[in-house]
Amino acid sequence: MTASPELQMELTLPMVPDIEIAAARAAGNLARELGMASESIDEMAHAMIEACINAREHSGSKDNRIYVKITGTSLGEGNSRIDIWITDHGKGFNVTEARSRRQSLGAVHKRGWGLQIIEAHMDEVSITTSADGTTIHMVKYGKNDD
Amino acid sequence: MTEELRVSVDRRGANGAIMYTKGYINNVGGEEIATRAYELMDDGVRTLLLNLRETKIVNSIGISILIEIIEKMIDKGGRIAFCCLTPVIHKTFQIMGLANYAAIFTDDDAAVKELAL
Repeated sequence: MTASPELQMELTLPMVPDIEIAAARAAGNLARELGMASESIDEMAHAMIEACINAREHSGSKDNRIYVKITGTSLGEGNSRIDIWITDHGKGFNVTEARSRRQSLGAVHKRGWGLQIIEAHMDEVSITTSADGTTIHMVKYGKNDD
Repeated sequence: MTEELRVSVDRRGANGAIMYTKGYINNVGGEEIATRAYELMDDGVRTLLLNLRETKIVNSIGISILIEIIEKMIDKGGRIAFCCLTPVIHKTFQIMGLANYAAIFTDDDAAVKELAL
């Protein structure tokens, strides 16, 4: 049986500096409503920040908007699940190439680490990307704070 | 919407300093840290501890700037260390490889003792 989301939020954000903080705070507030532990919320916030920065910096979006949908679901026994969709109407990107970047001191590419950070902080990540835009769907499962 | 980073510096002798950050380390915050760090390096500092106790959020652009600071300090024969990171910031530093090139201490007392600041 799949639990239906208890909480849902949709935001349309302008692509302006630091707007990622607004998205992360919104998701954090929703997760706190479900009682999710603070460290899980912190991880989710950092992943959202990277997803929004990727949309803002790299999407080439024509409408200069980031579309955010967040749902929260209690799974029982002190567990909860947050689903986040970050969508832009940009030009898409090569997921394989983005995943292949690795950091080293002196490397030419110090930037472009967003996807690795997102995947490390979230429990599930899926990306749909095309010439019409990109949606990244992220899931965080969390034990509730005692 | 802006999330301004505040930086303060405590000089420790001729060659050392502790830098305290408060706020979001993004591109702007990272550049602010870099500006202050390069001033300290030009003034002879070769051991620099960044205390991030009051920083709760970082992003990959800000961390990439921190990595550039580490590179410049290593080029000068010095070292940079970090202390008082949140668990998530610590994990993010590890993902981006920063933890391979700079020591990370749980608390400031241990860092100050180890670095002889």
